[in-house]
Amino acid sequence: MLVNEETGGIEIVKVPSTPSDPSGGFVEATLRILKRSDVTPGQLAFVVHGTTVATNSIIEGKVARTGFVTTDGFRDMLEIARQIRPSLYDLQFDKPPPLVPRYLCFGVPERLDARGKVLKELDEERVREVARELGRQKVESIAVCLLHSYVNPAHEARIKQILQEELGDISLSISSELAPEFREYFRASTTVVNAAIRPVVARYLQGIEKRLRAEELTAELLVMQSNGGVLTFEAAAERPVFMVESGPAAGVIAASYLAASLGHKDAISFDMGGTTAKVGLVQDGRARITRDYEVGAAARAGTGSARGSGYPIRTPVIDLVEIGAGGGSIAWVDSGGVLRVGPHSAGADPGPACYGQGGKEPTITDANLVLGRLNPDYFLGGEVKLHVELARAAIENRCARPLGIDVLQAANGIIEIANSAMVNALRLISVQRGYDPRDFALIGFGGAGPVHANRLAAENDIPTTIIPMSPGITCAMGLLVTDLQHDYSATLLRRADAVEPARIEEHFKRLEASGRAALKRDGVPASGMKFLRLIDMRYVGQSYELPVPLASGAFGATRLDKAVSDFHAAHERAYGHAAPAEPVEIVNLRLTSLGAIQRPTLREIPNQPGASPATALKGTRQVYFAESGGMVKASVYDRYRLVAGAVLKGPAIVEEMDSTTVIHPGYQGSVDRFGNIVLTRGRSR
Amino acid sequence: MTAPPGRRTRKRATDPIRFEVIRNALTQATEEMAIALRRSAYSTNVKTRQDFSCAFFDRDLRVIAQAFTQPVHLGSFVEHVPRAVRRFGIDKFGPGDMVLSNDPYGGGVHLNDITLIGAVHWQGQLVGYTACLAHHVDVGGGAPASVGAFQEVFQEGVIIPAVRLVRAGKIVDDVFRLVLAQIRSKRETAGDFRAQVASNVTGAKRVCELIDRYGLPEFERYVNEIVEYTRRRTRSELKKLPPGTYEAEGFVDNDGFTDEVVRLKVKVTVDASGVVFDTTGSARQRRAPVNSTFAQTFSACAYALRALMDKDLPVNAGFYEFVKVIAPPGSVTNAVHPAPVVGGWETHVRVNDLIFKALSAALPDAICAGTKAMQCHAGFGGIQAEGDYYCFLETLAGGYGARSRKDGPDAVQSHGQNTENAPVEETETNYPVRILRYELVADSEGPGRQRGGLGLRRDYQFPGETTFTVLADRDRAGPHGLFGGLPGSVSSYVFNPDTSSARALGSKSTLQLQPGDVISYRTSGGGGFYPPEKRDPELVSIDVRDGKVSAARARSVYRVITDSTGKVDAAATARLRKSGRRARGQDA
Repeated sequence: MLVNEETGGIEIVKVPSTPSDPSGGFVEATLRILKRSDVTPGQLAFVVHGTTVATNSIIEGKVARTGFVTTDGFRDMLEIARQIRPSLYDLQFDKPPPLVPRYLCFGVPERLDARGKVLKELDEERVREVARELGRQKVESIAVCLLHSYVNPAHEARIKQILQEELGDISLSISSELAPEFREYFRASTTVVNAAIRPVVARYLQGIEKRLRAEELTAELLVMQSNGGVLTFEAAAERPVFMVESGPAAGVIAASYLAASLGHKDAISFDMGGTTAKVGLVQDGRARITRDYEVGAAARAGTGSARGSGYPIRTPVIDLVEIGAGGGSIAWVDSGGVLRVGPHSAGADPGPACYGQGGKEPTITDANLVLGRLNPDYFLGGEVKLHVELARAAIENRCARPLGIDVLQAANGIIEIANSAMVNALRLISVQRGYDPRDFALIGFGGAGPVHANRLAAENDIPTTIIPMSPGITCAMGLLVTDLQHDYSATLLRRADAVEPARIEEHFKRLEASGRAALKRDGVPASGMKFLRLIDMRYVGQSYELPVPLASGAFGATRLDKAVSDFHAAHERAYGHAAPAEPVEIVNLRLTSLGAIQRPTLREIPNQPGASPATALKGTRQVYFAESGGMVKASVYDRYRLVAGAVLKGPAIVEEMDSTTVIHPGYQGSVDRFGNIVLTRGRSR
Repeated sequence: MTAPPGRRTRKRATDPIRFEVIRNALTQATEEMAIALRRSAYSTNVKTRQDFSCAFFDRDLRVIAQAFTQPVHLGSFVEHVPRAVRRFGIDKFGPGDMVLSNDPYGGGVHLNDITLIGAVHWQGQLVGYTACLAHHVDVGGGAPASVGAFQEVFQEGVIIPAVRLVRAGKIVDDVFRLVLAQIRSKRETAGDFRAQVASNVTGAKRVCELIDRYGLPEFERYVNEIVEYTRRRTRSELKKLPPGTYEAEGFVDNDGFTDEVVRLKVKVTVDASGVVFDTTGSARQRRAPVNSTFAQTFSACAYALRALMDKDLPVNAGFYEFVKVIAPPGSVTNAVHPAPVVGGWETHVRVNDLIFKALSAALPDAICAGTKAMQCHAGFGGIQAEGDYYCFLETLAGGYGARSRKDGPDAVQSHGQNTENAPVEETETNYPVRILRYELVADSEGPGRQRGGLGLRRDYQFPGETTFTVLADRDRAGPHGLFGGLPGSVSSYVFNPDTSSARALGSKSTLQLQPGDVISYRTSGGGGFYPPEKRDPELVSIDVRDGKVSAARARSVYRVITDSTGKVDAAATARLRKSGRRARGQDA
């Protein structure tokens, strides 16, 4: 997507991915869009890239030959992992193979205690021997994670030096630099994931850079991280574990931007595409972050991923609940005679039955077509012709007949079941984390999001739903409306009543200095820098921390008291109870440093208060709505001809190239000046 | 209630869509209970190791939905929750009331596993129960963490016979203080109890929201359908199992007081109407920590049957009714008052291993060879500098049994037990202990064409005086191999290893440690499947390269010859394998 900062004009190019040379697709798209927009490479200010290269290399097992160095006696940390089985009743289960084979894992004599005191000095001679052995084994990358290095990184730092002395400029990932947080397996796993993908990601990004520079493109090259911020190619290549969820993060960032531009600080993003639906949460203008994430984990139908099936990382990842319910998800009747939807998908080939490419399995898209919600002659702007009769036949054969119901009932059932799975996902991201969805605006996008968003909002009593212009490319939009972001943290592990506030301030100052330096390297002027502080706290004895944001300014005794009382409130919200008399512990200090980059301004559409939508009316068609008891006549509008100020009464359908917005009976959609459709419950039916 | 949802044969058709929506929402409610419990708990055992479970029961005390945490608990819930509720008195349950129980002879298991049952009221009417079980790190009794070789239940800790802990949403202080007074680690345990309360509150809220939405009659109709659905699917799964009677015998190695093995026997009879698990012939109960309650034995049998069915089958009362257990009272599989029960899970999980052994000839591709099949507790505690009594408990993984087409994974929990390890850094931060090593034990696998998983070693060192309990097993015989596969290694528990004072400890013993003492656990590897000389030499070579199997063992047991780099010498290997099967298994 190309945004013209002068005109606000947006140009979009989509190219097929090129699995044999993934960077080729990105370069090709960049050059093609420049050509089409009549812009020279030199005119570009910056380029932002979202990529799944990091995740894919793990999932496909195409990782670098990596070595692992840890404290003597603990070399099997990666093999043992959490000692659990990822599926409970499966005697034929597999444990994910470690990213580093055992013969490349080494323990070196050294030991710290939990306070960071040296119990055993580092055996430097042994480190040198290990270094030489790793050199002989021709590893490309090395991960280092010693016990308790989050309190005292000295031994890790020394090992880093020795490895550099012995092996030159080999790729090194050091746990105390990457994720200095306690619980060794999780820190080690984060470090190893980083090490294993670093050469792969670096080659990929360097490939892009080289080719773009050859085209005389001088713009700053940035890549999206899992936390929703961007990093320079250079920084990203060093810490690729920060970009494993680069793609999906962009959608939530776009949602937060859209919501903010319409005055909503709290929003739920709902991104539904061909294979999955992803729900994220924006609170107070910022995407909610999690640090409880596994790369390459097996998806589970209803409730996220199966514990222990992937590789845990402890870097900030935008909190998303992803479920196997997309347009291509297959509906089936199980052996107990119950209708189910997903998690299997018809994919792009053969695709839904209605594509006419030989697919026999009914999908969510087939159901939407049979219900009249999609236009068979205007899917992807007419690029793909849909066959209603094939969709009907698939639903009839696989669902309606086995269940003894008619095709329309079955099609509606498929949608209702998919919606119920999405409602559960939405509850997971909101209610389960202590938020009431009714306080949020829902942002529906992705090719299929606008088809389902209204119903989802109705199920949860969400008052406002926003469908952005061109929902199919909202994700890409997120890439262009974010900031440069570097995250830092330090583990403190001290009781709040026994800590000097000045000490906390010192820590934050130190983290801030790192952030400032990094942003300076990125070329951000001091005036464009912003620093957000957060404290992770818990009751003494608990194991899960809750993040408490701090107001800006120096940290003193009042700030500390406020943070502690905010923690009690956060605990109450998250778990329904608090224990204000119990001592509170400060676990981690976290700093997010942000460097503003210029954001495109949204283009406005013609505005005409009280405008009639009639000029955009394409006609009417019969559309099924369960709440109306069957097929009813719905108006069909052309989104591109709508003007700001128009109000569309449901039941109605709004069609555009990359998506279809469904407005249910009883709801209305108002078109705002940016072309967004804002859905609310109508005053009367 | 026999027609499937959606068929027109019923007078009032069940809406298959609404069915799926309500079923998902109920499962989700129990998952939310689990999250509330885990996140707000205090003890490492609950919050990190996830030694807990949650479920929803309907008004008729049938289990309807459960969160996927520890299968051992889920199976025993079915027995415990209805009995505890009835014993307390259904009509005594007011809105917001919760009842606490751990009574082993009232349907419970061992005393550490305490269940909190909450009544769910909707518009003043009792509509069901939420239940959550947590393994509390200490419940009093003869040793810290309440594990040890006790001789009667009264030595094991506080026995709670279904009493009201929460009345109308408020903790009953008298009861709470009385229970806590029996317990060493009061702060942690109090925090874990509060987390259990939060869990039930969350579950009740979700269930009520569902009833708000669909109305009570409709909700109950679909709850029935959920049970009926599982019943129907269980029936069709049962038809896929080979009918017949299958038997196996085995034993728990010793009871901690005598060296006499504790004989176990299972007879599994499969037919289309259900599966009967009969433990007749198992040893009489002992005044020793090897007795399983009926609920524990039931749980083992339920787990075994579930593991043989479609992975997608939702478990509820409609499944459990096909699990029929005959366990003679007074035996180690159904102990009677006042036998000690703390080691009941050791016996329980061994019964599980035996069930799969019994079925191995009939279902070779569905089962696994012998696994660790013990809980393998390490419990310790002592007085901290500040005067507080701390307690710590964890259970250690071992090798998994090989499968007909796959090796057994290294270092995992087995069967109904799936608790995580306690991170070394978290443990050392919170408790006065140092973990000296945590690694795989080379050459511990049960050799086979598919080999068993490796066991692990964990060494604990204590800077101060500490009471330590080993409650485990497998120090006499390793997990069984199948079809020519060899058994996994035996476990060992060693006091001050690699010193002149080193000595092997019994698998069920309590010690007073002096500052600097070390306890070392080395757990069993899993059993092998098919003869080891049939193993692909390349796979043997990878194990040699990785240091999981020694070159000597590769040669003597797998009959594979590797060079100094671990590469297979194909010609020499072929000659060796051809020369016949001599002396195989000499060091297994």
